[in-house]
Order: sequence, then structure tokens, then C-alpha cells
Amino acid sequence: MFEVMMYDGGIYRSEELFEMIEDIGGAVLQKNRSSQMLSVTMSVPEGDRKAIEALCKDIGGEVKSVPLAGTEIAIVGPTLGRHHMPHPICDIAENLRRRGSITVVMGLARGRGKKTAQINLEEKMIIDEYDAAVFMLGNFKNCVEAKTELFRDIDAPLVLVCGPVPEGIDDAYDAIVSGVGRKMERMRTAPERAKLDEIADAVERTLSEKRKILEEDPLFVHPAEIKQLLEDYEPVNMCLRPGPIVMHLDGLRVKIGYEEHRRHVEDMAVYGRRLGEICTISPSKINDSSMLIRIKTRSEVEHDDRRAGR
Amino acid sequence: MDVNIISEDEYGDRSYSDLFTRIMADINKLSLIEKATLVLKPTVPLFIFSVRMRAEPSSKTVADAANARSEGANVHLTITDERYAPSILEQLWKKFGRESVDQQTRFDLDVIGASESEVKALLVASDEESVNDMIGAIWRTMPEGIKNRRTFIDGRTITVVATEEIMEPYMLEEGMKIHTAEGV
Repeated sequence: MFEVMMYDGGIYRSEELFEMIEDIGGAVLQKNRSSQMLSVTMSVPEGDRKAIEALCKDIGGEVKSVPLAGTEIAIVGPTLGRHHMPHPICDIAENLRRRGSITVVMGLARGRGKKTAQINLEEKMIIDEYDAAVFMLGNFKNCVEAKTELFRDIDAPLVLVCGPVPEGIDDAYDAIVSGVGRKMERMRTAPERAKLDEIADAVERTLSEKRKILEEDPLFVHPAEIKQLLEDYEPVNMCLRPGPIVMHLDGLRVKIGYEEHRRHVEDMAVYGRRLGEICTISPSKINDSSMLIRIKTRSEVEHDDRRAGR
Repeated sequence: MDVNIISEDEYGDRSYSDLFTRIMADINKLSLIEKATLVLKPTVPLFIFSVRMRAEPSSKTVADAANARSEGANVHLTITDERYAPSILEQLWKKFGRESVDQQTRFDLDVIGASESEVKALLVASDEESVNDMIGAIWRTMPEGIKNRRTFIDGRTITVVATEEIMEPYMLEEGMKIHTAEGV
């Protein structure tokens, strides 16, 4: 079993950490450097956790648990206007990032109001690209309940965060956290921090359900293995966008053009297979400069093999 | 400031009182408001926000927001109301040029080669501007998307009636009733 953890510290002697991760057969999932500080999200064999912890302590950093590592979550507000941003949407996103997730803050194009609020198919498809989505609605119960209709057809696990306790919409969301409405200030008091943790716990629970489903029919390869493969591909290696490869529970988002690189990515070999055979590769709905790789499950690959007469 | 909430939504009632106060404080308008009445009917939706200000908005000159005294050929200004500091500086630059305005501290500055009466008479905020600022502040506190709005202004009271689609006559009547009750 692999365990995901995060190193948080300086860059001093960080090479030793990367060497150890490689030696024990682990993988670096995410690396963020800010000035002299470094945070590394890594996946390492369970048995080597103590050795990693000891090394991190030795080089002056600390090890944190990151239960949401390897996930990408969308935090969706009705708009990106000042009524909804930056608080509490950015506070929620920040707290999820602290637990290891990659977060994206989105606003709907026509999500304001009650009767006139809309969501279009493209927005729904974009939200579906993420492992989970957190919807942030406001202070009025009636309005929260009415707006739920907008999110009915979304397949990604949904967590609703709103002010009042809504009624009759439990089936529309995987989790509902109430007590957070429109805010003017950062959520920094103790009860507010507790509420942010409650939201992160709800997201964690929702994703653990998705993980359980994946465990029943595991992916053909782990996303981290494809990530390692892609890191050696020059356009990805040279990509200047933040986090050129983002891991999902069942695949990856790679920030290189779909049309230009699809063929090369499909032809990459993993466990003697072409990536195109064991994954579904599609352009991101956000724009053409990213592609989505969804890894097929073992049963899906077997099914495809039977159909192809292999 | 006294905030009176008339609401059909329990959570909205509690949170809007706090939200209104915080937003007004954030944009520096809280001290201008004596009392406010907020009618929240999200089911309609209809929102009536009525505020009674401490004083009727009037034009402000430099003399209202700063102490001025002649010092030889110059005028020394000490800004007493920080809200008008950016506007004072802007007007002085416009009238006398940047090179003639020597700002020593946040609130102290010399205007070189100016007369005291000339500086004191400079307009730093018009009454219309103050009213517009207050209306803007009220819009900011209202929920987003409630864009069909009508405004009543009388003396010290400003009332904004807002709905999402068609403004029905009964909504305006209700708004006027709140406006009158708030006191003109």
C-alpha cells in the first residue's frame, strides 16, 4: 500500500528527499516552490513512512497528512462578482488545498439571481471534469432550494455549502454543510475555521465513496505511474503553466494541447500497452490547451481486449 | 446604528443584519447612517433597503474637512476628516499643480503660493456624489441578481426597492410606505 503525505519546509537538502523517494519506489505527485520554501506531495510505500519522516525532520521540514492529495476539486459560486467572492469561496478553496487537493474556483456566467439564474451544458461538462465540486450558495433558504435545480444533471460528486438548512434537496447533493452564507471577511474565527474543516471533511467523505467504487474495480494503472511517464515528455516538461499535470482519482489533466499532442500521448507505452488502449483521452471542455486522460478499469480493458479478439 | 429587519427567512434575518453593518463599515458609510430598515422577501423576490442618514447630504469644501492657515505666501492644511483626504489632494493638484502641493505627512500639507480663502472654497464632494455613494453602498449590500431597482430620495432618507423581474405597483407602494415610515 502506498501512502500520500506532504513535506513542508525549505529547499535546503531537498535533493536528499527526492533521492530517497526514488530509492524506495515512491513518486512525487506535486511540487510547489515559493522562494526558499518547498512543499512536496508524495506517494510512498507505507513501510517507508518512518524513514521519510525522519529525513524530513533532519532537513528542517515537517510531514503533513494530505487526505485529499491526488484530487482536483472545483469550488463553484453563482458568479465571480464581489457578492460571492472572495469570501467564503476562496477560504474553502484554501482549506482544501491545505489537505492536498488542487482546487479551481469557478463562477457561473449567468448564475446570479433566483428566477433568472442559469447554468449551461458547457458549464456542467466542465464541472464534471473534476473529482468533486463544492457549490457555494447564499443566505436565503428558499433561494438555495430553488437554485438546486441548476445542478441536478451533474455527475461529479457535489457538496453544497450554504447558510440555512435546506429542505427536500438531500438527494441532489452528496453532502450539505449549512451555516456558511455570504461573507464580507475572511473566515478566521475558531467557529469559522471549524466550519471550514467540516466542509473539507464532507468533501473527504464524498471522495472516499468514489475511492471505494474504484477499489471494487481498480484502474488498470495508477495515475501516478502515467504522471511519471508524462513528465519525461518534453512539451510537458517545458510547460510553464502551474501544475502541468494534475492528478485525478481516475486519471489526469495534462496542460498541453490536445490536437497537437494526442497522437504522441496515445502511443506512449505502459506495461507493454499503448496509453490509447488503456485510457480515454479527450480535450478539456475549458479550452483546447489541456487534455483529460481517464484511465480505464481492469474490467474495461479486459472487455476491450475480448472485443478486439486479443 | 439601528438596523431593523423585516424578513420571512429566519437565517437571512440574522445574517443580513450583520452583513449590512459589516459592508457599510467596510466602505466607510456606517458612521453616516442613523438607522436602517431592511425588508427581505426572497420568495417574491422583493428587497427594500431604507436608510436614514445622520445629516442631509450637502456639498463639502476643503474648509469642512480640513483646518487651513496662512503661513507667509503658503497655506498649511491639516486634514481633519480622512474620508475626504484623496479628494482634497486631487482638487489641490488640479487647481495649483502637483509641484505646488507639498505633503509632509498623511494629514499635513502645504500649498505653495495659494491664498487661504481660495483653498478653503475648493469643493471636495458634491451633495449628488454623497447620495450616489450611499445608493451604491446600498446596492452592494443587496443580493446579487436583484437588478430591477427604484430609488426614493427625500431629505435624509434613501430607499431602494429591488426585485428580479417585473416591478409591480404593490412593490413600489410597499417601498414608499417604508420610506415614509423611516422619516424624511
